[in-house]
Order: sequence, then C-alpha cells, then structure tokens
Amino acid sequence: MNKNTNKKASPNLFNLVQRFSVPLMFILICAVCIPLSGLSANMLINEIVTRMGRNAFLILSLLIPIMAGMGLNFGMTLGAMAAEIALIFVSDWQIVGIPGMVLAAFISIPISVLLGIFCGKILNEAKGREMITSYIMSFFINGIYQLVVLYLMGSVIPIKHGSIKLPRGYGIRNTVSLLSMRQKLDNLLAIQVAGVKIPVLTFIIIALLCLFIVWFSKTKLGQDMRAVGQDMEVARDAGINVERTRIISIVMSTVLAGFGMIIYLQNMGNIATYSAHSQIGMFCIAALLVGGASVDRASIGNVFLGVILFHTMFIVAPKAGAAITGDSMIGEYFRVFVSYAVITLALVMYETNKRRAKSAAGQQLQAAQDAEEAAGKEKA
Amino acid sequence: MKNKRQLLFRVGAILIILAICAVMFVIGRGHTVYFDNKETSYNGQTIEPFYKVTVTVGNQKPSKLSKGDRGMADIMGQKLTMTLEITDKEGDQPHAHKVSMSVPYNMDGIMINIPALMQGLPQDAYMSEFIIETPDTGSTDEEIVTDEFDMGGDM
Repeated sequence: MNKNTNKKASPNLFNLVQRFSVPLMFILICAVCIPLSGLSANMLINEIVTRMGRNAFLILSLLIPIMAGMGLNFGMTLGAMAAEIALIFVSDWQIVGIPGMVLAAFISIPISVLLGIFCGKILNEAKGREMITSYIMSFFINGIYQLVVLYLMGSVIPIKHGSIKLPRGYGIRNTVSLLSMRQKLDNLLAIQVAGVKIPVLTFIIIALLCLFIVWFSKTKLGQDMRAVGQDMEVARDAGINVERTRIISIVMSTVLAGFGMIIYLQNMGNIATYSAHSQIGMFCIAALLVGGASVDRASIGNVFLGVILFHTMFIVAPKAGAAITGDSMIGEYFRVFVSYAVITLALVMYETNKRRAKSAAGQQLQAAQDAEEAAGKEKA
Repeated sequence: MKNKRQLLFRVGAILIILAICAVMFVIGRGHTVYFDNKETSYNGQTIEPFYKVTVTVGNQKPSKLSKGDRGMADIMGQKLTMTLEITDKEGDQPHAHKVSMSVPYNMDGIMINIPALMQGLPQDAYMSEFIIETPDTGSTDEEIVTDEFDMGGDM
C-alpha cells in the first residue's frame, strides 16, 4: 500500500514540476538576478506595481480565446493597432485626459470588432493552426495599418496638427506624444504605500475585467466557449454554433486588447506608431506563459504571476547583466532571448503533452481491445 | 417581436455610446492658454501692462508675469477659471480677481491679454488665436522605423 502511494506520489510531483517548470525557472532567475542587480526593494516593487497596472489588462485579453480552444491569440496586435489609430485621432482632435482615453476606447471598438470578425473568420478556416495563422495575420494587418497610417492619414484621412504629421505633409511621425493623457488614469485615485505608488483606479479597472471574465465563463456563451475548446465536434452535436462562438471569442479578445493598449500607452505617455503593437503580442504571451499558463489552459492567477515574474526579470536583467559581465546589453539580450525561449518552450511542451495524451489514449484503447478479445476467447 | 426589441436595444446602445462620445468631445477638449502682460491697443486706445501679475489656473504652477512677459497653462473643457493677483505699480499692494470665461472650441492655443481683459473690453480685444508654427525641417523627411521582428524594447 505504502509502496503504491509512493509510486503514485512521485509521478504527480514530476508532473507538477513539469507543469510549473517555466514559473519555477523564472523564480530561480529572479532569485539570482535580484541581489546582483543591486536595486532596492522599494524601487523594484514600485516598478513591478507600475508594470502590473500597465500590462495586466492586455494579458487578461488573451484568456477568452484560450477558453475557446484557440490557443494564444497573437492576433491581439490587431486590437492594439485599433487603439493606436483611435489615439492618433484623439491626439489630433486635442481631446485630453480621461475623456480622451474614453473617446479613444469608443473609437477603437468598431475598428477592433471589424478586425476581430475578419481574424475570427480566417481562423475558422484554419482550425488547429490558429496560433501560426493569427501570428501571420498580425503581420498582414500590420501592412494595412502602415498603409493607413503612413500614406492615408494626412492625405485622405484628415489630420490637422503638424506635430503629428510627417514633415512631408502626410503620414504620422514615428512617435506621437500622449503627454496630455500621460498617467492620467494611474494618477487619479493613486495612493502611496511605503513609498510605492499604487494606481488604484487602474487596478479597479483590471479587477473589474477579472470579475467580468469569471462571470462570463459561467454564462451560456462562456460555457459554449469551454465546450468548443474541449471538443468542437461534440459541441457542434450539442447544437452550439462553433464558428460563431469562436469568432465572438476573438472579437472580445481584440476589443479588450484595444482597451488594454490604451491603458498601456497612457502609462507610457507616447505612441511608437510603427512598432508598439508588434512587440505587445509577444511580450503579453510570454508573460502569460511565464505565469504557468499553457496553450490550452490559462487563468487569472497565471496573468498576475506572469506579470510579476516576467517583469521582475525585465527590470533586473540589464543591471544583473552589467554586474556580471560589465555590459548591460548582455542583460538586454538575455531578456529578449528568454522571452522568445519561453514561448518556444511552451509550444514544445504543449505538443509533447498532446502527443503523450494521444499515445496514452491509444494504449488504453489497445488494452481495452485486448481485454475484450481475451474475454471472447475465454467464452469460446 | 423579439427581433424588434433586440434592434431597439442595439440602436439604444449605439445612441448612448454616441452621446458619451459627444460629451467627451466637449469636456475633454484641451486648450493651451497663453497669458500676456504686454502693452496693447484697441480702437486707438493704448492699454498699459501691469507691474506684476500672478496667474493661477487650477492646481497648476502659477505664472508670475512682469511687464512684457508671457505665461501659459493647459486647460481641459470649455471654461477657463483663473485667479489673477495684480500689482498695478511698483510698491502697490496686489489685488486678487477671480475670472471665469468660456473659450472657443475651435482654438487649440488661446492668447489672452491680461491688461485688456481687466479693462473690461470686448472679447476680441483681449482674446486671439495662438498658432504654433511647426518648424520647417526642409526637404529632409523623418525616417520611418518599423521593427516587426524585434523585441528589443522594454514594456
């Protein structure tokens, strides 16, 4: 009996370590890098809290497509692009502060919805290959975004202010200032706790999104998404419109990513017009995976753990790199390398687990067939 | 019947969103207000600047303007409320005034001449549009930087 328990316990522990290998690895990296970086606890906590407020909403937008079995939505950059277009308009119209953010959010909705529907329809044609399809789609839409922002804005789409337009008279500059709404959301209701600035309102909005996700997962549509995520054929047999459900999940993710991008950019105080969105998808997905999520399973807890671990690594890596090698660029390279490595590792682990599960199911089926045959022979 | 109700809800939601957007357009409109304590003339009448004026707008840092100085403040919305602390001549006691006025929606930069304002002259005497000229960088255009495959930045 005792032997049996031990036998059962060791694979469980192994599975647990395997499942949480990425967060564990990051805890180790952070444990080594934090003392080497020489950053004070106060500064480190301040940075982590700031980055949590800045990024959590964006990362939370990834949860719904995972619920619907569509994996990591690299297409969230579409929502980010919609938000950037909305913010460019709002900057040109000189709508500032929180009203500017609200207006940008409303303007981003129709753009995000259209892009989301388009993305969802394409992904329905590429079932089982959603991640790579959404990744390539983000490049495709980025091309259209560049066409709109670089050539149509200022020539076809009216843009008034010279500070936004390129000197040639059309197209948008590399950087658009958001100084008029910089940290307006973060500073409203902000409190200081032991020298750490807590952006209370931003956290309230993030908490509301968490509550929405929890509530949504219990609704009929949320349950449908879960069912579609588990088995599309079974869901279809149960009368669920699989294609529509998948499109809705992508549209919701895209719209939420747009809102998240507005929160992110108000914290930064400027838009890197041609590059901000291309980085955002990768960083958010890497952070979510660092938090222990996988391609087919993610929770709100994974989001927050991921933000803490991933961004701690981001903050301390350059300083630790400088302390170890004398060159802070090593730390910069390290954090980029780790970001890509985490995504690769997660994808490899997902495929391995899927194959292992398939092989286990095959073995079970074989055993059942053998048992049936044996029973048949005995009867004969 | 159900479809009609659904349509009504959708139209209602769109109308509410449009109404909120309209409100945001009005309450969120940003203006930069420039305050001049300079000599000006109106209908042949010359208006002399004050010895010193301190302009306070909301919680922003007060602008202390001597003769010929210009200050600025950013405001949001269509109403400007400022406190003016005016010293007429050197050695005089300053006297405070609270001034409120609506500002034109279409102007990004608004220039207000404080001496003309305090004379009680009409709006066109003390208020004008301030247009910032974008510096001409010649024929050289900004190089556009796109980095689809780069993750080198910070988040």
